[in-house]
Amino acid sequence: METQMLLIPVGILIIAAVVGLSKAKMALKIVSTLSAIASVVMIYIGVLGFRTTLELKYSLFNSSSLFATLNWLVFRVDSLSAFFLLLLGILSLCASVYGIKYMEKYLGKEDMRIYTFNYPIFLLTMYLVLICWNLLWFILFWELMSLFSQFLVAFEQSEEKAVKAAFKYFCMTKAGAEFLVLAVVLIILKATSFNADYSEIANILPAYLSAHPGMLYALTFALLIGFGVKAAMIPFHSWLPDAHPEAPSNVSALLSGIMIKLPIYMLLRFFISFFPLEPEIGLIIAVFGVLTLFFSMMYALLQEDSKRLLAFSSIDNIGYILLPMGAGIYFLANGDQLLGSVALAAALFHTMNHAFFKGLLFLTAGSVMYETGTRDLNYLGSLAKKMPLTAFAALIGSLAIAGMPPLNGFVSKWMIYISTLSSPATSLFGIIAIFISAVTLGAFVKYFTAIFTKPAVKEIDAKEVPLLMSAPQIVLALLCIAFGVYPFVPLKMISQALGSIGVPLASLVVYPSLVVPKTGGYSPIIVFAFLLVSTLIAFLLIPSKGSVVSTWKTGRSEDLNVSMPADAYYRDFKEAFNEVYLLGDASKDIVQKVTKIGKVLGTKFEVLSYDLDSMLSLAMILIVILVALLGGVSL
Amino acid sequence: MNIIFMAINLAFALLIAPVVDSFEMKIRARLQNRQGPSILQTWWDLIKLFKRPTVEPQDSVKSFYKLAPYVTFTAVLTAYLIVPTLLPSSINFIGDFIVVVYLLGLATLSFVIGAFSSGNAYAQIGSNREVSLFMSEELLLAFIVGTIAVIGKSLSFDQLFPLPLRISSVLALLLLLLVIYVASARLPFDIAEAEPEIIEGPLIEYSGKHLGLLEYSMFLKRLLLYSLLLNFILPVQNPTRLIGYLLGIMILSVIYSTFEAYYGRFRIDQAVKLMKKLSAVALVVWIIALVGW
Repeated sequence: METQMLLIPVGILIIAAVVGLSKAKMALKIVSTLSAIASVVMIYIGVLGFRTTLELKYSLFNSSSLFATLNWLVFRVDSLSAFFLLLLGILSLCASVYGIKYMEKYLGKEDMRIYTFNYPIFLLTMYLVLICWNLLWFILFWELMSLFSQFLVAFEQSEEKAVKAAFKYFCMTKAGAEFLVLAVVLIILKATSFNADYSEIANILPAYLSAHPGMLYALTFALLIGFGVKAAMIPFHSWLPDAHPEAPSNVSALLSGIMIKLPIYMLLRFFISFFPLEPEIGLIIAVFGVLTLFFSMMYALLQEDSKRLLAFSSIDNIGYILLPMGAGIYFLANGDQLLGSVALAAALFHTMNHAFFKGLLFLTAGSVMYETGTRDLNYLGSLAKKMPLTAFAALIGSLAIAGMPPLNGFVSKWMIYISTLSSPATSLFGIIAIFISAVTLGAFVKYFTAIFTKPAVKEIDAKEVPLLMSAPQIVLALLCIAFGVYPFVPLKMISQALGSIGVPLASLVVYPSLVVPKTGGYSPIIVFAFLLVSTLIAFLLIPSKGSVVSTWKTGRSEDLNVSMPADAYYRDFKEAFNEVYLLGDASKDIVQKVTKIGKVLGTKFEVLSYDLDSMLSLAMILIVILVALLGGVSL
Repeated sequence: MNIIFMAINLAFALLIAPVVDSFEMKIRARLQNRQGPSILQTWWDLIKLFKRPTVEPQDSVKSFYKLAPYVTFTAVLTAYLIVPTLLPSSINFIGDFIVVVYLLGLATLSFVIGAFSSGNAYAQIGSNREVSLFMSEELLLAFIVGTIAVIGKSLSFDQLFPLPLRISSVLALLLLLLVIYVASARLPFDIAEAEPEIIEGPLIEYSGKHLGLLEYSMFLKRLLLYSLLLNFILPVQNPTRLIGYLLGIMILSVIYSTFEAYYGRFRIDQAVKLMKKLSAVALVVWIIALVGW
């Protein structure tokens, strides 16, 4: 009976999508409520998944011919998928509830059906990606997920920017997915003899790939590009800063919070349970992680658009996940179980943290947009007095993302540094991660103060957002605090999740602390308690009660009219680190040149395509190459 | 036993941190042929500030503005649970090097948020400089932390105190000496508070108890960083540690205040660039540590 639970969210979300086809105003409320209910069920399934493994099997065609691989539709939830299901459930619950009020703003302006139909389908495809247990079906759901999320990015049809961003996003993820298709076809044809079941692959593939290193590296290459594009790993990131800000804010929260984590989920499956552990592969992933976090954060510092800043920081956090993942694979391959498992646990912990605080921050940016209608950090200002709850939530989110103790971001960052810093091979990665963490602090001081505390250019009319919008923010903020002070609950889940893909987690937890023997220790409870108690004592001993006086204006009576727009933040720092930006711009130029060449070639190809003879011969050559690749030439 | 040690260390820090500041004032005065104030002068100043009322600027965001000095103060105080001062401590499960670095980051962050919340333009400019300097300083600090972690193969202080005597550890500690100087907001690095240009910057609106707390936390932060550096050098379980520690604090005070007495202020861009250059040096030190010297 419990396994049938897996179908409930599918049913609810399909009903929601059908309701979403109607033009009625009520549709938005019904769809949001149904999505929220489905999210609650997902959370429940996630909790169940930690107790037992749920499995549902359907034989679709009853034939053993061409469709043999697609024949079995298997849904299965093990601890790793359960972990991601929990994140998906919590985040989509918050985003759906938030959407009830938030999306009303668009009523009458845009065609709401684009949202009400695509939103539940988008949730559904993410859910299916997480529970499916067959590589071919996975590819199918994966492509559907890209397709439907793309419609959501293009929700504001009247905005040319949104449509362009959606198109760029679609083209890039589609191109990435082709690499995945190639990889999956190679695996199914060459290694597992038409078997795409995850368990079978995990049995067969590691031994096969150990014997065929060429194939291993070819697959690694394809997977890193395929998943790298979707996860926005540098250098395949350029769609994200355009696409995520353009979507409605609660959808941005889902895109950044959970969708770009699904490649992480699949990378873990592939590189840990399907592939033999190779130190080189680990180092390659870690290097990409460091590049990703470094460049994206340096660019986040420049942004003057609130959601664009958050989008760049999402890329940065993908770097913070890839770095420990790569380091973990490296350590495990070298036989260091302890540091390896700590690093992988750090990757999962950071995945969870990023889902919470980035979801939260996108919701706060959405609330600010809802009240003021703008994302321009230069224009916004002094909203903290008018929107105290949102300001509080944004402050917690900013503190957490900057990795301040005792919030959740610090726990995962601490685990990253502990596992990487003291080993010679990964030490430099950890050093750069510490520096970038300080830059993150700078960027989020900018985000928070530019919106909430700096004096505005002119008086902005705003009030606190309605309860249905502030409640999800507060829930996420409280989760950030709770899992920061008491990280033992998620750590237990993570150790179980890692156990299900065959990584034994040496217990970190030595109550009341997290201790990695001989390397480091951190006690979130004691640090939090001491901070709280000593602040209270300081308040009692030195109570501050003062009179309100006017702000000091160098003795003049009128306003100073000195204010700092967002583009003036950290100018000296940016100038001093100009090389980074020069390098980034240079690579951008190269990419643009390549695109130009591609366009020229494309036009030439189009001209050529009118010529039937040459077209046919080209196709034949391509087919020969393909046949040779798949059959004859052994990799 | 250990908890008593920790309490003694905390009490020592709370009592002595302002005294160290007066001591440094005295040295600076002597270097400039002045008499200098009494050794308790900073304490009298603090007590005077704590007696005074505070004000809340009209344009400020009151909750953040009022809370910030307290959090700044307690964040620094929490770091004293981890870094031992007068007496050696064997409690290592509260935190390690990373936790200390981040607690100091928390202190800076809450200081800056409070200043930004005051609604004063000069405070904005000052805190902006503070964050710029913090980011570049953290690059150098990250390299030092990395180098020390490679030398000691750990981040936990019970493995790192004291560091083995090697070329790389001496160089790393010299760099730490420099970072401490920058982090303690002295001339020529008091750019954020630059009195003549931007009128104390982030501190501009703070007065009375708030100002007292913020100044007190700065003194505590300086003493914490001194103790951190000294702990890397002093032997752990040794009766001479106590004498060495007290002597070390005095020597550091003399070194730092001599520097301070002879320098003018840097511009913020000069300071950031200097940090960047020093980080390049730190990269070399890191490589030396990797080689194993």
